[in-house]
Parts: sequence; structure tokens; C-alpha cells
Amino acid sequence: MFRIISKSLKTGVLTEVSPPAAQASFGFPVIDFRRCTACEECVRSCPTGAIYAEAPEPGRTTLSLSYASCIQCRECVNGCPEQAIGVSTDVEIAAYNRQQLEQTASFDIDPATGRNAFRQVEVQPGPSLSESAARLRARIRGRLGRSLHVRQVDAGSCNACELEITATMNPFYDLERFGIHLVASPRHADLLLVTGPVTRNMEIALRRTYEAAPEPRVVVAVGACGCSGGIFGEGTYAAVGGVDRVLPVDVYIPGCPPRPQAILNGLLVAMGVREARVRAVQK
Amino acid sequence: MTSNVATVAAALQIADSAVREVRAGELLLDVNTVALRVAADRIVSGLDGRLFSLFASDERSTTGRFLVHHLWLLPRLRTFLRVTAPVDPAKSSFPSITTTHTAANWFEREVMDVFGLKPEGHPNPTRVALHDDWPDGVWTLRKDFADNTEVPRVPGDFHPFRPVTGEGVFQVPVGPVHAGVIEPGHFRFGVAGEPVLYLQLRLFYVHKGTEKRFERLPWRHGLLLAESISGDTAVGHSLAYAHAIERLAGVTVPARARGLRVVLLELERIYNHTADIGAIATDVAFTVPASRAQALREGLVRLQDQLFGTRLLRGTIALGGVKRDLSPEACDVLGAHLRVFEREFDDLITLLIDAGTFTDRVDGTGILSNQAARDLGIVGIAARASGVDGDLRRDHPHDAYDGLRFEVPIEDGGDVRARLMVRAREVEQSLVILHQVLRAMPDSPLAAPIPKELPARSSALGWAEAWRGPCTHWIATDDRGEIARVKVTDPSFLNWPGLVHAVPGNIVPDFPVINKSFNLSYSGNDR
Repeated sequence: MFRIISKSLKTGVLTEVSPPAAQASFGFPVIDFRRCTACEECVRSCPTGAIYAEAPEPGRTTLSLSYASCIQCRECVNGCPEQAIGVSTDVEIAAYNRQQLEQTASFDIDPATGRNAFRQVEVQPGPSLSESAARLRARIRGRLGRSLHVRQVDAGSCNACELEITATMNPFYDLERFGIHLVASPRHADLLLVTGPVTRNMEIALRRTYEAAPEPRVVVAVGACGCSGGIFGEGTYAAVGGVDRVLPVDVYIPGCPPRPQAILNGLLVAMGVREARVRAVQK
Repeated sequence: MTSNVATVAAALQIADSAVREVRAGELLLDVNTVALRVAADRIVSGLDGRLFSLFASDERSTTGRFLVHHLWLLPRLRTFLRVTAPVDPAKSSFPSITTTHTAANWFEREVMDVFGLKPEGHPNPTRVALHDDWPDGVWTLRKDFADNTEVPRVPGDFHPFRPVTGEGVFQVPVGPVHAGVIEPGHFRFGVAGEPVLYLQLRLFYVHKGTEKRFERLPWRHGLLLAESISGDTAVGHSLAYAHAIERLAGVTVPARARGLRVVLLELERIYNHTADIGAIATDVAFTVPASRAQALREGLVRLQDQLFGTRLLRGTIALGGVKRDLSPEACDVLGAHLRVFEREFDDLITLLIDAGTFTDRVDGTGILSNQAARDLGIVGIAARASGVDGDLRRDHPHDAYDGLRFEVPIEDGGDVRARLMVRAREVEQSLVILHQVLRAMPDSPLAAPIPKELPARSSALGWAEAWRGPCTHWIATDDRGEIARVKVTDPSFLNWPGLVHAVPGNIVPDFPVINKSFNLSYSGNDR
């Protein structure tokens, strides 16, 4: 007993005031489209199709990068012949829909040389971040206050996301000080924290868990798989894909797996305490 | 090494020429289907073989047959032995070895589920991998099944769990969505009051079609998929995958990379063991050590982030080597952190085992007997806690383990405490290993070049002793040198039946701590 008390006193308080964003050495890839020649080397090196090229009309090509499917493997960063892909240290990324996690640039193809010249970064269709934030706040207004009860559902994850969700409860991050509690039953939950490419075998269980939760039942999709199916893909015989294929998703937390501070940030976005940020800042 | 061929041939009472050594540590024996059972019996009785995996492959496009593979580990000969037998598609059945070799049970039923090949003589030929709402005749790993096939759900009753009858006897259903932050699976307890009479499992909720996915991805990208087989074993599985590709391509990994791979694998072992020890404390509501263990684990994970740019060691293994180096300063930082960690870890273990309230809960809880562990073919920490010796790092060394001195801790209790103590002693050994490697890190390139193409119609086995136990990957290529089949065996697949045997006789409230002491991966099992 004496040993336990003395150990507790010696250890002191480990909880950090603000989770250290600076220590993350790799967040997401950032493409400098001005240096990019749309050679598509990154498209070929990307294992999940997070970077893809399209030809919307003759003489025009577009290159898109979606953080929703990025597994942060850095293959594109190392493989870019123009060194146009940098890394961000920023991990506190979240969004209200999949499109907001995507960035598209268009290029004009010079008919004489066949080379691509950067034209512009396209504006993503759909609501802006502040419009989405306002909509979410209106939906949960007054119901949650500063308390959030969370039911975590693994709908097919590889368990890396679970490791990081568990880490948010450790003494360093201490999720509970933000009024966030993980509860045992969906009947007690305001929010479902869902991971994994929803598998065929978990689809029904996930729907039932959602139906068991009381309104406003916010849904947060965690990880590349939860946001888009990740490396397991979408629409295979075993994996349905991203959580939004099954349930309406309010907040997306990308990453493979997202770091604890990214998960914390995403939960605060879902509470309406913070507004989502989707552009990573380059180192 | 030809002596191995002769020994195996003698034990099996066959001609030497029937056994081939395809690569170092990898023997191959082709038999006809009827000889499978005799071969299995003689491998166990004459060579102390342990069944490590059992699977099928679809070779109809080339030979017109399926192949059934039995993968045995021959500890005395320090080699693997793969026994293959052709299966005629018209008959679609192969002899089961489950009645004499229990470890084959789930494997054979999985072959039945995904290849439509019936294990003849299996005592319980019901589904294991497919859930009840899958229609019959959907054989997902056959080559003529496209991975984007939409499989309809079949309505109807779920196949019943074993009933319990009697006064005060009832069933407790748990899952697939659990109360904590853990993976999904369904447990059905038959209980008489508090004590559990039996436990039944229904897994495969997180079946993602991973083995089929490997066949669709370029083999270079397969490495990243291997990291997602079980997120807590990213290094173990990517290493097993890389080993198989390197053996296929005939690539030798440079010395520095071999050392760094040991560093990565041991760090993964330490952070998982530390987290598990904390989780065992959590499950008996002993909060101070639980919190200490979480803090120690977070410290390690942050250090990994600082050194390699990744918290859970993803993206560190390369085909042919490693992707990240450790500078001499980084080695010093790591060494210094580990010395502090060692003291703190000792304190943690002392806190736990000096507390009578804690040992009361873990001593004699969830016993897996030595006999049961042997019969079921249990591997890894669960086996070593039940007195079954075996560790690929020592017996079939990969990477730099051959030149390292370390012990393989064995406990005899088979209970939660034994599994906890195996972990604690393995952490000590991992520290011994890490200090050895860090002291003498050889100088060499980080990775050997990998050829653009793999040899066509070839296959190789890769293995690694990850923290939970051995991970094996068997990779076969087609006639274009692309992946034709990857068979992934996670130690969890072999060990789940062990949990079923360890729980009965205990009380329901002790189930979480017993489950945690095994800490098996659902994702690794279900793939």
C-alpha cells in the first residue's frame, strides 16, 4: 500500500495542457501544385488511390489528393521526381464530408510538347467548412452541452485505430477532462466513434448499434478505412467500405491510424467546440 | 542440409528423392491425397512436427487441380516442411487430419468455406469463416471469384449455439459490439450461476478479404497491406511478408537492415507487452499500475515517433531492408530511454506481484494446461506460459537473431499470472537484445535492391516471431510473376481455441482478464 502511494506521489501529474502537435513528424503529404507537372508518378505509387488523375475534357488533366484515403505511407513523397510533394507536421485534421478532405488541381496539356502546365486549384463542390460546422451545431445545439458520451464501434478495423483511441484515455491525453466519456452501451451514447472499412459481417451490427443510440446520435468516422475503405477498398465481397456507405457521418478523422491528438480534435469538432481544419500546413 | 532431407525421408519411410529442399529452412514434399494422413502422423510421431498452417491454393489454370498444403514446423531439424497434395475439382474433397491433429480444425473448415473443398472425416464440418447469411457456393478464394462480386444475404435462422439445460443454467451472449474499446467478436457463455460451463466463439466479424486483396494489389504495395493485417503487429506481419518476397527474389538483406529490423521487432514487442500488462491490471481494477503501464507505453510510442516518424512503427520495413535509419545519436537516445524504462518497468512488475489483492485474481485463473496447449497446437506467449517451448527467433532465426544471445522465458502455470510473467521476462530479454544490437550496429546500406519482377510460378515462405507469436506468410506467384496467393497465418488463429479451453470453470467476471492475458487479434484471425 505504502509503495503504491509513494509511486503515485513520485509520478505526479503527466497530463499535458495541450496535446503536443509539434512532436508529430509526419502528418499528411502536401502537393505543391505549382511545381507539379502531373506526371502521375505519385498516382502509380499510391497504394490506396488517394492520389488520382482524371481527364475532364480534351487538353485538360486534373490531379486530386484525398486525405480520406491516405494511409500516410510516404511513397508519393519519396517517389516524386519534381520533389513537389512535401510533408506536413500537422495532424489535427477533420472534415464534415469526404469532399472537404480532397484537393484537386487542373493542368493544361500543351499540344506541342505534351507537357502539363498548372492552371488552378479547383474549388471543391459542396458546403464550406463553416457552413457544415453551423449545420452540425444546429443539430446538436443544447443537447450535449459540454458532456459527450461516446460508444466506440470497431466495424472492421485492423485494431491500430483502437490502439490510438485507447491512447487518448492514457494519462498524457486524458480525454475525460474535456467532458468526453467512453460508455459501454450505445443506449448511453451521444456519439458513435466508428473505425474500419465496414465489413459485410459487421454491417448489420453497426446499423443496430446506431438504431440503439438516442438522437442526435452523432457519427464520427475514424481512420483511412473508416473515411474511405483505405487499403481494403470499397465494394468488395467482404468490405462495404467507408462508414458513410452505411450511416450518415458527421465528422471524418483521416489518418492511418490518426494520432491521439487528431482523434481528440475530431471529437471536439463533433461537439461543436472547434471548427474543422482540412488543410495541413507544410513543414 | 541434405541430412535434413534424409531424416525427413527416413521418418516418413519414403525415398530421399521425394523430399526437396527448395530453400534454406524450407522443405517440400508432394504426396498424393490419400497419403496426407499417414504423412501427418509420421511427421508428429517421428519428427515432433508442429502444425503451423493449413491452406489450399487454386491451381486449376495450370494443373487443373487444387492443392492442399500442410505447413509443419520441425523444431529439431530447424526447418519448415510443406506437404502438398492435389485435389481433384470433380471430387472437391481431401482427407481431414483434425481427429488426430486438433490444430487443423479451424484451418480445414476455412479451406471448406473459401475454396469449397470438403475435409473428409472432419468431426465438425460446419462453417468457421463465413457467417450464416452467406449463401452456399460462394468460394471467395477461388480464382474465378471476382473480388467485387456482390454476395446476397441469405435470410433464415442462425445456426444454433450448443444448448444448455437444467435448473439455474443459462446462456450469456456477449458481442459483437463489446463494452470496451476492443475488436468485435461474439462470445456465448453457458453458465451455472457464476461459473462458466463452456464458451463458444463466433469470430470473423472483421473479415475484410485481406488474402484476396493481396492478389489484386501490386506485390510492392502488399507490404503496406501486411501492416494492416493486425495493427498491433505491423512490424511482425510486414517482416514476414518481406521475408517471403526476399526469398522469392533471392535477395540478401544488408547487415545494418537486419539489425534495425531486430530493433523494430523488439520495440513492438516491448510496447505491446507493456500495454497488455497494464490492461491486465485494468481488468482487475488495479488502477495505479495500470496507469503507470499506459504512461510507459506512451513514452515508448512517442520515442518511436521521434526516431522513426511513426508511432506504431508503420512504414519502417522495406522489401530488401528497412526504410528508416538510426543515427549514432538516435541510438544513444534510444539506449538512454531504455535504461530508464527498465527501472520503471521493474517497479511496475514489483507493484503488481507484491500486491496480494492482485495475485489473488491472477493466480490459478484461466489455466491452459500443458497437455491442452500441445494438443491444440498453441503458439507464442500463450504456449510458453503453458510450458511449451518454442520461439522462431531462436529455433529458426531470421534477420540478425542468429548472432544474438538471449533466453526464451518459459512458465509452467498456464494461468493469467504465467502469461503476465512470460511477458515481463520477455521484455527483459528484449532489452538485452536491444542493447546488444545498439552497441554493435553494423555499417551497410539500408536496403538491397529488389528486382523489378518476381520469378514466375514460384513460391516462398516468410516468417517472423512477432510479440504475440509466429506470423507466417506463404506467397505464390503466377506465370506473370504477380501474386497468385498469399496465405497469412496470425498466431491468433492458432490460439483462439486455447481461450475456449482456459475459460470453463472460471467465473464470468474473470473472463475479461483471461481474455486480456491471451490478447488475441480479431483482425489477424479474421483477415
